[in-house]
Amino acid sequence: MEFVSSFISLLIGYYALKGYKKFAVKELFLLYLGFIVLGIGTFLRVVSATYFVTLLKTLEPTPNIRSLINLAGLIYTLTQIIAYSLFTATYILQAKTFGKRSLELGMISTAFFPIYRLFFNPSLELIAIAMLGFITVHSFINWLLKKTSESALVFFGFGFMLLSHLLFLFMILQETLLFLGQVTQLAGFLCLLAMLAKVSKAHA
Amino acid sequence: MPREHKEYRSKARIYVDILTSITKKGGKSRPTRILYGANLSHDRLMKHLGQLIELGLVKEKKQEDVVIYKLTDKGRKFLMEFMKVEKFADAFGITI
Repeated sequence: MEFVSSFISLLIGYYALKGYKKFAVKELFLLYLGFIVLGIGTFLRVVSATYFVTLLKTLEPTPNIRSLINLAGLIYTLTQIIAYSLFTATYILQAKTFGKRSLELGMISTAFFPIYRLFFNPSLELIAIAMLGFITVHSFINWLLKKTSESALVFFGFGFMLLSHLLFLFMILQETLLFLGQVTQLAGFLCLLAMLAKVSKAHA
Repeated sequence: MPREHKEYRSKARIYVDILTSITKKGGKSRPTRILYGANLSHDRLMKHLGQLIELGLVKEKKQEDVVIYKLTDKGRKFLMEFMKVEKFADAFGITI
């Protein structure tokens, strides 16, 4: 699931870069950087999680492996925060421009839970939630003003991402929430992919 | 967010306004009509038209002592590309 999310993120980033190169819009450059960082971060998490799961099947979790897992988790969370900061900057910059302005599920999550729990940093997660909340509110306002299906898809995209972070935050209480969080995260990226498909088809 | 709140128009937006104005007149237009359509002063319009000719987005033609500006295929492609990017940016609340 996260591999698909990272691919979609990189795709959106590439589209934003194309727009920036052609029309030199600063906000598109920030959007490009944000999605590329998010895509790379998510991809690295998929690779490192797979590696550590395989490693821990054959080896006992030594302090060295644990610190490596912690480091990978920290890098992933930091890439997310950098990406969300860039999205936040996009909206701030734009405002300035305007002047005024279940069984199987349980088994799957239990299998991956120890790794992802180590990947989890509550303080950084809260920062990510705060920033994503700001982005979601802005995309909601944008949807209210524009009333287009594309802006609705962006709002639902960021909204689902916010929901996934909230689910990740509470996964210490219920392990199934991790899987649900990943599903909502994927749903968010699929909304953004649908928006991209609609935009690409337009005027073709 | 409506565009009238914006303090200035980007260069790309001015180009698009000129190209759209020509398109609305069937792909070729006199400078006076473009001037009104793109909401530009004569001097600024001529400066931008010169740049559009250099970029190959517009062609200048003389028809019975009247200068006509014609949209090229490259200009049409530019316009379509801009519309797609504008829709993409618009979905995120970014105004070009």
